[in-house]
Amino acid sequence: MHTTIVRSPRALGPARKSFIRRNLPYLLIAPSVVMLLALIAYPLLFALRSSFYFWNLQIGPEPLQFVGFENYVQAFNAFDFRAALTNTLILSILGTALEFIFGLAIALILLKALPGMNVVRALLILPTTIAPIVVGFLFRYLYDPGGGLLSWVLQSLWLPVPAEGILGSPSTALAAILFVDIWQWTPFFAIVLYASLLAVPDEILEAARLDRASAWTILMRIKLPLIKRTAIIIVMLRFMQIFNTFDTVLVLTRGGPGTSTRTLGYSLYEQGLVNFNIGLVSAMTWITVLIVNVIVALYVFFAFRNEEW
Amino acid sequence: MTIDIGNMSRRDLLKSASVAALVAGAGSLAVPRRGAAQDANTVRVLSVEDPFFFSMKALVPEYEKETGIKVELESLSYDALQSRLVSAFVAKTSDADVIVVDQMWLGQYLDNGWIISLNDFIAKDNEFDLSDFIPEVLYSSNMWRGQVGTLPVAAYAQGVMYRKDVFDELGIAAPPTETSEDWTWTKYVDTLKSMEGKSFGGKPLFPTVVCGSQPSPIVHMFTQVSASHGANWFKSFPAAPWDFAPQLTSPAWIKSVEVYRQLYKLSPPEAINYVWFDAGTRFAKGDIGMFYWWTPYFYLIKNSGYMTGKKSDIMDKYATAALPKAEGVPQTVSLGGWSLGIPSSSERQEAGYAFIKWATSKATQKKMALWPDLNYQFSDFARVSLYQDEEVKAIYPYLDVQYAMMKQGNGKVTRPPVPGYTAVESVLGLTLNQLLTGTEEPKTGLERANSLFESILKGNLMIPYQKDSYADTLDGAKALMVKK
Repeated sequence: MHTTIVRSPRALGPARKSFIRRNLPYLLIAPSVVMLLALIAYPLLFALRSSFYFWNLQIGPEPLQFVGFENYVQAFNAFDFRAALTNTLILSILGTALEFIFGLAIALILLKALPGMNVVRALLILPTTIAPIVVGFLFRYLYDPGGGLLSWVLQSLWLPVPAEGILGSPSTALAAILFVDIWQWTPFFAIVLYASLLAVPDEILEAARLDRASAWTILMRIKLPLIKRTAIIIVMLRFMQIFNTFDTVLVLTRGGPGTSTRTLGYSLYEQGLVNFNIGLVSAMTWITVLIVNVIVALYVFFAFRNEEW
Repeated sequence: MTIDIGNMSRRDLLKSASVAALVAGAGSLAVPRRGAAQDANTVRVLSVEDPFFFSMKALVPEYEKETGIKVELESLSYDALQSRLVSAFVAKTSDADVIVVDQMWLGQYLDNGWIISLNDFIAKDNEFDLSDFIPEVLYSSNMWRGQVGTLPVAAYAQGVMYRKDVFDELGIAAPPTETSEDWTWTKYVDTLKSMEGKSFGGKPLFPTVVCGSQPSPIVHMFTQVSASHGANWFKSFPAAPWDFAPQLTSPAWIKSVEVYRQLYKLSPPEAINYVWFDAGTRFAKGDIGMFYWWTPYFYLIKNSGYMTGKKSDIMDKYATAALPKAEGVPQTVSLGGWSLGIPSSSERQEAGYAFIKWATSKATQKKMALWPDLNYQFSDFARVSLYQDEEVKAIYPYLDVQYAMMKQGNGKVTRPPVPGYTAVESVLGLTLNQLLTGTEEPKTGLERANSLFESILKGNLMIPYQKDSYADTLDGAKALMVKK
């Protein structure tokens, strides 16, 4: 492309100049809006359209016929749908709640001026930087009933370990996956909450202490309310993230034993990247999107009910 | 384009430039990028990282030196390879000139026009001889609707591995190296039971080990038992006319589940979660008496761990044997493996064919077998002549057993490579996994799986089958080989 830059005394008329000045902010954000629409709306609309077609790449490279809501019916009637939805909800709700509680506890400890805290803070972020697939392999060895560290620790503490191993028993496999998620993502909560807690003004805390407020009262009445907005946002983000869990499930259990660790994310992976059933996986994607958005909408509604933004 | 900066401040100019850059960026995302121009002297090979890959990779420099062609060899895991290939096919991009194809993908790739038939290349190549290939392998892994879609670079059958020292100490007769009416699954289970509760070398001994992880690992191992018992997945396939009405409720399937359940009870309980290499590495650890698995484990178990190159404790203490059969049923052995094909999107198909010819040639396959690293890690021959090669047999003494298993192979019966296979495999894998640990009757579980099979196959327009059938027989494959 050839570009010529010229300088002229009167290039733009006053009306046009004023239009640009008036709309400059919109013009500047327009590319971002266009990109967002292209990257988010287009794939979702494409998936919506595909969900009404029979389109399986194992059968043919193009959509074969319009099937209406048949893919949605198949998704709901699939052998693993209920189990996957239940497991996903358990993982998402428990995982988010436990990671928040443990993360908050760690953040409060980090606030103490104890020796070595700088090193602890640096080390804390490490688990979140490891790829989930690698974490999966790591825990596969840790859970190994033939000498894995975690199995050994549990046995040493006289806690029952199933004969099939922690990952091999339907009664413990889901908890094992939950533990992996907590191990990896609690530091994320800890770091974010720690940063928020640092922003709580010392004067307020000092005044509370002078009024002989207990540490528990200070936490519940001052610190948590002041970091509430941050907490609400990261809880929402983590919930949505856990809802799509599939990589650790793939490495650790492949959804088994039975359907005990199957998640919606794993089912999506299987239908999309193993069975290549594009129509069905598109319908499942929309079902997942709707479920997550309903939950998040309810959460946001109740969480921000008394908030002013 | 003309930009007038007459009345613009420096700040406005910078803002405009930023917007322009953003738009340009967005534009570059919207327009599909063309791949960098391929060097005319290069052939791109996309492979799975199975055992054969490493010895093939070791020989690539030799090929480059001989031909002057640069080989860009890339390897991926099984799932990643399939995802990448299909993404490239759907996007109609040229991602490679040679790809590794699993036998289960062959029909899909050829029917969708994603890979080209090699028939024409083979027909006009006077040097190329199909007759050295084992017909059962070509039929199972490389032929679809009368076309040779790929050529085998690594062919697998299944066979038995057992501990000679354990059998000697416990006074158990060694299993036979040839298929025999006396060596049945009943006898196999009885032999395992004679090891139950025993110790060896001061450690508890498990009679056997199975794969329990769903979906593929358990299906790969179980289907050897079901194929031996004469169980068919569908009413009519590969014989024409194709009818995909599922047959999982037949007595052969029920009997096979009962046998596999017994095998699991004689395995370490954690085998419920075992994938392919877990079973092999467990045997190599030394606390398993006997198991059966894909023939690459005939050499992989020489390693402590999976492809570590570190010698296992049992390296000189095991032997191989024939698979057991079911009473009164002709033996059928599961065949699998990897083959090389040419994507239709490749612009260097001739170069691709030349590489395939080299990689699957007798000379290269022998060199791969003689490559000493990783404790000699390649004996997955699809060529008859290599099973008779004394130099190779000296390193891999079990080749007679392996060849005998190959000759009884039929991959189109054990795991039918039909479109939509993975969806029904998921259901079968899950059902088997549940049946191993639960108390449900095999018949009940199989009836449920059968019903799900039917629903999936109807959903995939396979019942009733609407496309043309093809009478896909071993004799037909042999005739094609002779025709060449």
